[in-house]
Amino acid sequence: MDSAAVRVSSAIPTGLRGLAPFLIAIPILAALQLAVNEMPFLVYIASIVGVNIILAVSLNIVNGMTGQFSIGHAGFMAVGAYIAGKFSLQLRDVAISALPIALSDQILLVAALLIGGSCAALCGFIVGLPSLRLKGDYLAIVTLGFGEIIRVIVQNTEAFGRALGLSGIPQRASFFMVYFWVFLTIVVARRIAASTHGRSLWAIREDEVAAESMGVNTTGYKVRSFVISAFFAGVAGGLFAHFVPIINPGSFTFVKSIELVVMVVAGGLGSTTGSILAAIVLTLLPEAMRSAFIALSGGQASLAQKVDQIRMPIYGILLVLLMLLRPQGLFGNREIWDVLPRWFARRRKGT
Amino acid sequence: MKEVLLKVDDVSINFGGLKALSHFNLEIRQGDLKGLIGPNGAGKTTAFNVLTGVYAPSAGNVLVCGQRVNGWMPHEINHLGLARTFQNIRLFRALSALDNVRVACRAASAHVDNRRLIQLRKQGLLGSAAAGLLEAGTNYLDWWRALLLTPGFLRNEQEIRDRAGELLGVMGLSPRATEEARHLPYGEQRRLEIARALGTRPRVLLLDEPAAGMNTREKADLMTLIGELRDQFSLGILLIEHDMKLVMGICEEITVLDHGETIAVGSPEQVRENRKVIEAYLGDSYLEAHAAVGSGGAQ
Repeated sequence: MDSAAVRVSSAIPTGLRGLAPFLIAIPILAALQLAVNEMPFLVYIASIVGVNIILAVSLNIVNGMTGQFSIGHAGFMAVGAYIAGKFSLQLRDVAISALPIALSDQILLVAALLIGGSCAALCGFIVGLPSLRLKGDYLAIVTLGFGEIIRVIVQNTEAFGRALGLSGIPQRASFFMVYFWVFLTIVVARRIAASTHGRSLWAIREDEVAAESMGVNTTGYKVRSFVISAFFAGVAGGLFAHFVPIINPGSFTFVKSIELVVMVVAGGLGSTTGSILAAIVLTLLPEAMRSAFIALSGGQASLAQKVDQIRMPIYGILLVLLMLLRPQGLFGNREIWDVLPRWFARRRKGT
Repeated sequence: MKEVLLKVDDVSINFGGLKALSHFNLEIRQGDLKGLIGPNGAGKTTAFNVLTGVYAPSAGNVLVCGQRVNGWMPHEINHLGLARTFQNIRLFRALSALDNVRVACRAASAHVDNRRLIQLRKQGLLGSAAAGLLEAGTNYLDWWRALLLTPGFLRNEQEIRDRAGELLGVMGLSPRATEEARHLPYGEQRRLEIARALGTRPRVLLLDEPAAGMNTREKADLMTLIGELRDQFSLGILLIEHDMKLVMGICEEITVLDHGETIAVGSPEQVRENRKVIEAYLGDSYLEAHAAVGSGGAQ
């Protein structure tokens, strides 16, 4: 039996396999943090990109890998943002006395993120358990409803600042913190995808009846993927709340959810690297267009401001073009390292 | 006499006014190889769907390894030791051949103690609540191990890979391990479905037209293989097949369905002689043709 062919070999001792990526990533992120320290605008843009990457990669676990259609991701983000934001607001003047201020701030931030993420995960569980028992498009309707409910609740609750939103949340989310969570999300998504559990999620996406007949508890798996996805959406929301000056219900509308779905679909359903790339491009695109318009119009800001309004039609056109030219998304259900070598090979053959 | 692994006791199922299956009886023991035949729409696949929990029976009982499973979810029934293949191939098309089998292996290995859970479930409401909690707890623990890549988890994964690889070997699919299921030729897809079903460590295997679309040679090979699988994995096998010659060749007992009714049960010879079967399934033309051949031979 040729089991050597399927054996996964690695130079890293098994005890360290779980930690190794972090041991490499943390010093790199710390170095980057030092490099970008003096560039607040770059850090701000990079943080927005990072939050969108977390959201797209986590949404991809449900929409891509498991094949369920959730369109309420902004709702989970809102839960995380408001809970974490409220937590930090309440504890704004509190510090852990034994530690330096900066460190104590970061620890409180992590606590806030974990609380926000957990609340979002709990919402995911409550929403998912009844609706994921159903098959087909019901989940889309339920998640759509959930997103709107959260927004309306926030809009009408005094504690969350109603339509004005929350301001004055301490801005503790550093470049390092955002990208540490980006990294964590990606590692989790990749490990899920590679494990046999993840294969079961794919199996549900491919054929739910067959998966069920092969002993996969489809409801259980779907709920778990949904909860993990909601957790990271909550964390992304929490991070968002800690670097933007103000959060209000307008940041978590249905449009935001659709934006995330577009990222996942454009990157290829099931492709983590595709989601990352699509999140980067689709976040930077409006910024780039804004700069381009400012340059073109000779510094007339009014035209540049319109970019935000024409963003959605442009998304729509992009999506239509994508579906016509490459219906499976950028990378299909593969990853960049599966796809790129093949493209190059084809090009070489072509010339 | 060996233990009864699958017992179907007077099962009926109605869809509205339509009786898809009525008073269906069957018993599979270890080492049995039984056939289920009938014309199109006779209720053969419906019978499989009732046994595997896709539909709940309207009346009667299904017992798997002595446990009544009416209304159970398909995955729970599978954990008791019942696995199936599908008439219209239902592989996980985008997954590699190996991963197709891995999914099934996982499902089985994650529930090593499912017999304990089932015993707990039998003890009323409190027991089933405890079983539910225990199951959810072990599942979440398992996911954390997967996310942290603990050594125990990696060892588990390797075991699953090895076992999946072995099963591919048994079905002659080793060279195809990394290929996507949808790119396999038709006959190999059929065999991959069997490998996947075997991954769940079944005690009873239900094969829904495993030889459909194959040529005569492939069919004969497959039938030999099915006989070998039964012995190697000590299975009981129930087979739906359209090709009369094949069924007659390897099955020890055949049940014939027509319009949901069981019209004959018995050895291949008995079934072949049965007047009702010939009318319903083989048709009058078969009878005439054989009579013609018979008279032709006499001349």
